[in-house]
Amino acid sequence: MLFRSEELIDPWCAARGRARGEVLPMQTVWELSQRWYHNRLSADYRGRTAAEVGVIFREMGLTSAFWEMGGDPQAPQK
Amino acid sequence: MAHIDPDQLWLARAYIYQQIADTARPPTVDQVAAYFGLSRSEGEALFQELDRVHALFLEPGTLDIRIANPFSAVPTDFRVTAGGRSYWANCGWDALGIPAALHADATIEATCAQSGDPLPLTVVDGQLVPTDAVVHFLVPFADWYADMVFT
Repeated sequence: MLFRSEELIDPWCAARGRARGEVLPMQTVWELSQRWYHNRLSADYRGRTAAEVGVIFREMGLTSAFWEMGGDPQAPQK
Repeated sequence: MAHIDPDQLWLARAYIYQQIADTARPPTVDQVAAYFGLSRSEGEALFQELDRVHALFLEPGTLDIRIANPFSAVPTDFRVTAGGRSYWANCGWDALGIPAALHADATIEATCAQSGDPLPLTVVDGQLVPTDAVVHFLVPFADWYADMVFT
C-alpha cells in the first residue's frame, strides 16, 4: 500500500488491528521494480524461483526476516 | 493432465504479456489457443499450468486472467498511463513495475491508503521523480501466495 509519508502507516495498522510490515521509500521500490520486472515482456523470461528472489532481496539490502522465503527454494514466484 | 510442452508454455506466457502490453487487456483462452493453433482444451491446460507456476493468476474457478504481474485485469487504486495506454496495477510496487516492464515513461494515479490524498508518481527517462511517498509491505514474503490479491 502507498502512503504519503511513513507516519501515516501506524494509524492505518492500528485502525485495522494489523501488525506493521516493512516500509520502503519509493526510490527503493522503483529499483526493486526494475530488478523484478525489467525482463517480464521478454520471450526468454521463464519465471523466477524463491531462491532467485532471495538473491534480489539480499542485493537490495532487504535482509530482515520479513524478506525470508518460507519453504521450497524452487517455488515459483510472481 | 495432458503433457504440456515447456517451450509452448513459455511462448504462450510471452504472447499473453505482449497482448496485455499492446492492448491493456489480457487475452482469453480462445484467443491464445487460436493464435497457437491449439484446441480449446489445450489452451485451457496452458492457462491452468501458467497459473500453477505463478506466471499469472486466474480468477478463482475461471479461466479469466486476473493478475499478470505487474498488470491487473480489473480496476484497482493504481492507474498507470504509459505509451499512450492506461493500465491497472495490483499495488504500489506493481504500479512502478509497469513502467519497468514496458521500459517507458509513466504517470501513475494513486492515493494514500490512510489519508486518501492523491499520490501521483512519475517516471521519466528511467528515473522516478523524487517523492516522499513510501510503500508499506504488509505480508511477509513467505506468505505472499496465500492470497495474491491481498498481498
